[in-house]
Amino acid sequence: MKKRLIGFITLLLMLTGLGLAPDQANAEDGSALQRIQDAGVLVVGTSADFPPFEFYAVVDGERRVVGMDIMIAEQIADDLGVELQIQDIGFDSLLPALEARNVDVVIAGMTPTAERRRSVDFSDIYFETFQNLMVRAEDQEVFDSIESLRGQRIGVQSGSLQEGLAEQIPDAEIMSLTDLSDLLLALRTNRIDAMVMQGPNAEAHAGHDDSLHTFVGDFDLEDDDAGSAIAFRQGEDSLVEAVNETLSYIAEENLTEEFLAVAGEYMAQAELDEEGEEIEESFISSYWEYFRDGTLITLLISASAVFFGLVLGSLLALMRLSNKFLIRPLATAYIEFVRGTPLLIQVMFIYFASGMLFNLPALTAGIIAVSLNSGAYIAEIIRGGINSVNTGQEEASRSLGMSKKQAMRYIIFPQALKNIWPALGNEFITIIKESSIVSVIGVGELIFQTRVVRSISFQGILPLFVTMLIYFALTFSLTKLLNYYEGSMNHD
Amino acid sequence: MIKVNHLKKSFGKNEVLKDINEEFNQGEVVVVIGPSGSGKSTFLRCLNLLEEPSDGEIVFEGTPLTGLKEKELNQLRQKMGMVFQQFNLFPHKTAKENLTIAPVKSKGVNVNEANHKASQLLQQVGLGDKEEAYPANLSGGQQQRVAIARALAMKPDVMLFDEPTSALDPEMVGEVLKVMKDLAQSGMTMVVVTHEMGFAREVADRVLFMDNGSIVEQGTPEEIFSNPKNERTQDFLSKVL
Ligand SMILES: Nc1ncnc2c1ncn2[C@@H]1O[C@H](COP(=O)(O)OP(=O)(O)OP(=O)(O)O)[C@@H](O)[C@H]1O
Ligand SMILES: [Mg+2]
Repeated sequence: MKKRLIGFITLLLMLTGLGLAPDQANAEDGSALQRIQDAGVLVVGTSADFPPFEFYAVVDGERRVVGMDIMIAEQIADDLGVELQIQDIGFDSLLPALEARNVDVVIAGMTPTAERRRSVDFSDIYFETFQNLMVRAEDQEVFDSIESLRGQRIGVQSGSLQEGLAEQIPDAEIMSLTDLSDLLLALRTNRIDAMVMQGPNAEAHAGHDDSLHTFVGDFDLEDDDAGSAIAFRQGEDSLVEAVNETLSYIAEENLTEEFLAVAGEYMAQAELDEEGEEIEESFISSYWEYFRDGTLITLLISASAVFFGLVLGSLLALMRLSNKFLIRPLATAYIEFVRGTPLLIQVMFIYFASGMLFNLPALTAGIIAVSLNSGAYIAEIIRGGINSVNTGQEEASRSLGMSKKQAMRYIIFPQALKNIWPALGNEFITIIKESSIVSVIGVGELIFQTRVVRSISFQGILPLFVTMLIYFALTFSLTKLLNYYEGSMNHD
Repeated sequence: MIKVNHLKKSFGKNEVLKDINEEFNQGEVVVVIGPSGSGKSTFLRCLNLLEEPSDGEIVFEGTPLTGLKEKELNQLRQKMGMVFQQFNLFPHKTAKENLTIAPVKSKGVNVNEANHKASQLLQQVGLGDKEEAYPANLSGGQQQRVAIARALAMKPDVMLFDEPTSALDPEMVGEVLKVMKDLAQSGMTMVVVTHEMGFAREVADRVLFMDNGSIVEQGTPEEIFSNPKNERTQDFLSKVL
């Protein structure tokens, strides 16, 4: 009982700690640089679906995030005398991850808009950019300016600078999606007529796809909107200064051009084999490693969530069946709360909230969130199963002198398990499918890898199809396995 | 062996047992009869504290059960076998496992010994060939005999029966009563709630008639069946005989 209370108080402290942490950040002005040098590592957040700035490529047989931004990050880490660590997170989640201290800085071709400046600080602009319009090749005669796109359907990445620019197109019907690959697919399949894209990124895509055409858009740009900069938590001026020094060195030496050239080579390399000859590899053989890695992580998350979910679920179910003071309401409150809030928010909450206190890797945070979530559902299934066992079974056990625990363990629980087996199976299948939500915090599970493949292969539909087949294979084998065990439990 | 002092039991406002005083002696076979709802099952279940008495005392072999700690109560319950109307066999265990689980898990008997005893008991109730059968594949009569053997596997000092034949098809009642008679002849102390008046007449040392939460009348089978004194007993017997 006492332990429970202490746990509850710790939780309260943690929650209030969330409110405190940003203030601490402001107070530690001057020490930010020191802190990173003490830690010996600079954690950079990025969103690796944005060639040529950041994207995946195979380097020396190993898959890594590469691109101009990454080379800049390497330069900065070198100058600071620390190791570089890259965290690949969805673009939407980058600034929350920064504020929650999951990463030290964000380098993601990000434009320092006035709106963003309200929540974070920015370095000097390290890359002057231009904003493009992307259209289907067959439309290039018709659409050649903002005015020519009047009243058309325009796609933009949500939360991006381009979302704002699209409003300069008169009467445009704007479609905002998180994922650039989805937008490109929408363009190819005539769902939209044009996209607003960051210049070099648009050129990278159009260069790989003859069906697309891109040109510099005649947008009115504010000074701030014309380039990319590095984002910092507010008040970490010492770090900003140090980084700006590196950036001005890069500008003096005109290194960005060199970086872009290297990035271009990586992009071309995707289609070349080791001898430098162009080859037509099949889609699967080029990208199967992404799917394999994604599947393994999905399996790891699902298996852990099933295991911990079962342990937690059993515990909660027993708590709900207990008569002791406070125990039942506590379990009930937990279950109701978890079932009453979306998994997406739980995943983000655990990842970002934990980032304020200690550094929890995204995968661990994801496993914890999915386990805590499935625990609540499994608890209800188990409770139902226990209640479904005839009370005569407990009476018979007790009349033989078994303790309550023994009766539960040897007599009631095994029978409950048999009754709830189909419902548990459903829950396990749900876990496999829902574990994909952890992709929002940058865990490289199957959906995440699918997104990566879509962005580097410039293919919209095929990766989706492959992923669908993999999920089906997983859930179908699980169903078969569960049926097998159900058969072996059947004594009727 | 079991002494009942001022036993009262209520479910909410419903007073089901009203100040019962009774004693069961070593080796005695007592049959409890009475109309439906009179409190027979509740009385029996109070004896091993499956129902918690609202008031009063149950003393078993010199120890008051009421107010005992969970652990001590479990140990004393091991000496009081119980057989239920609905058998309540463990459906996920074979006949033999039904007999061994409690001795092994709660009494700490070693597995070989428990298995040996189980085989012997199943033989004794005429089911030597059903050791590996699951309850679902046994007839009602066979299940109830396994249930009796299961209670006996704990080597109890007393056996409580709550209408052990009421859920059975008529052609199976005989085989179960036969096992119970044999048990009575072996000197087992038994408290039996039943509607089988033939069994009561033949086997009982004493018959209790319960009505409306009280023991209204008691005596030898001879006295109760041939010469009931209480009006309610007469009324009840005229209906069932
Ligand atoms: N768990 C319970 N909760 C509430 N009331 C109960 C409970 N168990 C028994 N009763 C009530 O107590 C009274 C006596 O029930 P009991 O089962 O002891 O009668 P009985 O003599 O065994 O009847 P029968 O011959 O039908 O088995 C009945 O009115 C019944 O409704
Ligand atoms: Mg009854």
